[in-house]
Formats: sequence, structure tokens, C-alpha cells
Amino acid sequence: MMSRRPTRLFDRASERIVRAEILNEISRDELIDIHMDWQPARLEALTSLRGAGKPWPENWHWDWGMKAENLNLLAYRCFAVECEGRTQGLMMVSTIGWRGRIDVQAGKPVLYIEYIESTPWNLAGFVESPRFSGVGVALIEAAIQVSASEGFAGRIALHSLPQSQPFYRRFMHDLDIDPAHPEKLCYFEMTEDQAKAFIEGRPI
Amino acid sequence: MSEKRTMTLNLSHAEMRALEALCEQKDLSKTAVIRQALRLYQLVDARLASGGKLFFEDSKRGKAELIAV
Repeated sequence: MMSRRPTRLFDRASERIVRAEILNEISRDELIDIHMDWQPARLEALTSLRGAGKPWPENWHWDWGMKAENLNLLAYRCFAVECEGRTQGLMMVSTIGWRGRIDVQAGKPVLYIEYIESTPWNLAGFVESPRFSGVGVALIEAAIQVSASEGFAGRIALHSLPQSQPFYRRFMHDLDIDPAHPEKLCYFEMTEDQAKAFIEGRPI
Repeated sequence: MSEKRTMTLNLSHAEMRALEALCEQKDLSKTAVIRQALRLYQLVDARLASGGKLFFEDSKRGKAELIAV
């Protein structure tokens, strides 16, 4: 059952912090609806980039509709950030199968972020003037809270596309390229202490 | 998570020892370990039912062994 809790984003146009909500437990059908809401903006942005001869962002092909089947399983959960009546970001996490690699938490379970993405209209790689910032921060905060509620003490992990690595290096350990990852992406992990510091020092 | 419901779980001494050992190793509550086990069981069962296979790879022998659940 979906529940909501308050969060906040930064409106770049008005340069104001605005109220937003984290939506917990997005269902399979809701995720497909969100994907369909985003898709026109994604295609429009990519068409514009191609016309301008600019490179496409690394996540240009992400298809949340294809990931929706995971939500039939208890192991996966999906969260959204909503502001002004539209979904501004999505995150899918796995609560099983991932163990800490850093010495201080080696072998202990971590919440693994399978996918995390802001809408195309919030990403500088897609549009010249992104609408909201702080979506990634709000979702990472949600991931830490889920980790804590699962008994994982705020420990989280993910593999990052190269374009997003500077963002995660600000608050997670960079364990370098993971040779076991099919796309050889860098693996990042957050410790319990880093999770506390993130929540206390939330930038927005 | 959505609204929770409570149940009583009857375990043998050996099963309880195994559960407590996992709680200690993973730094988790008994409820959290049982939840993890259920999620894993459901995921593996669903993957096998859809034609998937489950392997454990032994790094020393370099072989993979099919595990039937």
C-alpha cells in the first residue's frame, strides 16, 4: 500500500525550496503509468539533442516499464519523488542478496539501489534548463531510511554510470570498477556513519 | 512497508540456534532474517518457475553446481 512522506526539492526557476513527497511502495501498474508519463519528454529531449549534435546521456535508453515486473517480488521495492502533481524521480531497490564489501560492514546486508533516475526535464544531460534539483538527494535519503527500517542501519550500495560518479563520491565510498558487473561499472557503498552524516548534513 | 501482521513461529532448538547465529552474523533481528529468507525464497522460486537456473560457483575448483530448491 502506498504511503507518502514529505521531502523537499529546489526549484531552479524560482530559486526556492519547494515541498515534495516521497511515495513509498509504487506498484507495478503505477510504475508503468509513470514510465508512460516520462517517455514523451525523454524522446523530445533526445530528438533535440540529436538535432543540436550533442551527445546523449548514458541513461538515455532506460525503460522503467521493463523493470516493472520486478515489483511482483517482495525483494524489490520502488519509490518516487512527486512535486507539483508529477513524478520527478524514481528509485528501485533490492533488499536481498547484497552484502557489505567495506571492512567495517563486510558481510552485513546492504540495501542495493538497482536503478535511480530523475525525470529527463530535471537532468542537465537531457535539457538546458533542468526544472528541479535535489531529486537524487531525496531518493538517497529515502534509501537510507528504508535501509534503517530493514535493520540494515542505513547501509546502501549501488553501481554508478560514469556520468553520476562525482555525485556519489560526495557521500559514499568508491570501491572502483567492479569486475563482476556486466557493464564494469564502479561500485559505491555507504556505511552507517556516512548515512548518519548524509541525513544530518542534507544539502537541500 | 505496508501494515504489518503478527504470527507465532515454532522452531526446533537447532532451527532457533541457526536463526540466532544468522542474526549475530548479519547484525539483524530475527524478524529481519525471516523476512530476508522469505524474499529470497520467493525470488528463487519465481526464477526457477520461469525457467531460470541457480548456480553456486566455487572459486577454488572453478566449477559451477546447479542447486535445486
